Amino acid sequence: MKSSSLFAPLNGALGRSVVAVTALLAAALPHASGEAYGALPPPGSYRLDHIQRVPQAIVLEGTRVPRLLSRYTQGAVTLLGFFYSSCADPNGCPLIWDAFEAVRKAVLARPALHYRVRLVFVSLDPKHDTPEALLGFARRYADSGQMVPWHFLTTYSYFFLDPLLRPMGEEILYNARGQEGGAAINHLLKVFLIDKDGFVREIYSNQSLDPGAILADS
Amino acid sequence: MNWSARCAILAGTVAAAAFALATPAAIADETCLSPYTAALVKGQEAYLHVWALGEPGIGDESDKLVTIGADPKSKSYGKVVSAVSVGGRGEAHHMGFTDDRKYLWAGRLDDSKIFVFDVGTDPANPKLVNTITDFTAKTGYVGPHTFYAIPGRMVIGALSNDKTRDGVTGLAVYNNQGEFLSAHAIPADNGGDGYGYDIAINPKKNVFLTSSFTGWNNYMMDLGKLMKNAEAMGRFGNTMVLWNLKSMRPEKIFAVPGAPLEIRWSLKEGDDWAVTASALTSKLWLVSHDSKGDWQAKDVATIGDPAKIPLPADISISADAKYLWVNTFMDGTTRLFDISDPAKPVETYKKVTGKQVNMISQSWDGKRIYITSSLLSKWDKTGADNEQVLRAYDWDGKELTQKFEVDFLAEKLGRPHHMKFSGPTEKASRELPSRAALP
Repeated sequence: MKSSSLFAPLNGALGRSVVAVTALLAAALPHASGEAYGALPPPGSYRLDHIQRVPQAIVLEGTRVPRLLSRYTQGAVTLLGFFYSSCADPNGCPLIWDAFEAVRKAVLARPALHYRVRLVFVSLDPKHDTPEALLGFARRYADSGQMVPWHFLTTYSYFFLDPLLRPMGEEILYNARGQEGGAAINHLLKVFLIDKDGFVREIYSNQSLDPGAILADS
Repeated sequence: MNWSARCAILAGTVAAAAFALATPAAIADETCLSPYTAALVKGQEAYLHVWALGEPGIGDESDKLVTIGADPKSKSYGKVVSAVSVGGRGEAHHMGFTDDRKYLWAGRLDDSKIFVFDVGTDPANPKLVNTITDFTAKTGYVGPHTFYAIPGRMVIGALSNDKTRDGVTGLAVYNNQGEFLSAHAIPADNGGDGYGYDIAINPKKNVFLTSSFTGWNNYMMDLGKLMKNAEAMGRFGNTMVLWNLKSMRPEKIFAVPGAPLEIRWSLKEGDDWAVTASALTSKLWLVSHDSKGDWQAKDVATIGDPAKIPLPADISISADAKYLWVNTFMDGTTRLFDISDPAKPVETYKKVTGKQVNMISQSWDGKRIYITSSLLSKWDKTGADNEQVLRAYDWDGKELTQKFEVDFLAEKLGRPHHMKFSGPTEKASRELPSRAALP
């Protein structure tokens, strides 16, 4: 099969196609005047998919009394992230924490959002992040806890954590023999925006963890 | 409260951590994956996964995912390690990893089925874990082509539709569980032709690009007949579209004549430009924004002799965005362009690598190149020219040196098309600790 004979008829047909389209100029579609391409659209002007329902799980907060995760993922817009307290990678948990802090401050500054947004951290290290240990974090934010609650949740063990991680696409690589005896937990940076009905509506990665976008989506 | 202060709260209660988090660093791949893809293979790839079209009279005649050893230090180097047949022939074409890289979605352009393989648990032996059959019913689209991961979801670019079966089509979003979420039509007015092909996201600019090929009527037609049908030959895509990623709405349409296919964003930090190759006009196109922030597309180079229609079918950009490999199907040639100045690409090397060559993939370090032969089952050459192979090469900066070849016909596997890599995986480490080790 020779290319020259095979595509000989193409030249004529293609030529006509090219002539037809060269008359076209790059066309701008309906686009706000002065708005940069790729600008975040105004809040409420776009639709977020119902990505998935948050799975049910048993979690702990403050005590070892079991609670359903749905208690923390329904009834308000929820921002949920996974963390562990000994996480030291500056591009990991601290990044999520900074984003949550920024969202918390922004919500506090907007009375209309008070009592409507909830922040939730779930530990990936139930062995070390006991309910009692995480109380230290919770107390830190207690003063604004009514307006913007921030819950620090853990689980009895990985056996209870796994049913939450897998459906959320947060499978982890666990190395129990990390440096100095601590756990090293390799995980994807993902933050979940959950609507008041318990559906995940957006997932942020390190490519998209922008407090401005989170607030717009909320 | 800064991070140190936060940690101080728990001082004495937790041990210091060794490390954490494995997220994809910046915009990167090896080198054509979604920027949201985890665990990039930046060292030696261990396996090649090849999505192969079943061929009548060859083996079990079924489409299949073939896994080939790619590590020179392995006994399986250059050998078929496993093959997972999915049943029937539906025009196997492209694949894409989920964001966690655990699953590989593989589509068929004829029956629009999508097969989901677990390649993370044991990459040497992928397992078919899900078959999605509702693509056309949910979207009205036909021919799921491009599988592009975003967090927790897969964006799928289609090639056609179920009414006219021409190239007017759109994008679909599924969650990683394989459930349909939404459909988004490619604009067919305001200068758009509604056609689709590839997807490529620039997260930092909150934009993505799509390109345009042709519909089911054409890609499932015998190429000889297609060539003689002037009306059909007029039904190829001539546009690219710039979309707003957050809203999934088109923002600008570019005239890019002659079926622009694969799109590659520069992976270099700070760059905001992409390249594509138009198959029928044999041009390289640059999409970038001007000093006013307005995005433009312009043709910046020719590939071979456009009058001979070499048909550039696939491109692969180097991690440093200095080089672009281009496979031209008709003349079986693998070409290298210096794109250090993306506005002035220069061909610096070429080599005939087969009687017909289609897909091309390179390792992250650019030292290894892989090519496959099949374009489409009804467009591949015939007779003695119907070579169906995967070939692996080393690239030393001056010359491609073939390292191994897998003859897919001799191995009774079919026609090899799209390729993806898997790295060496510590199988146990992907699982939660064993029950015995549970805290």
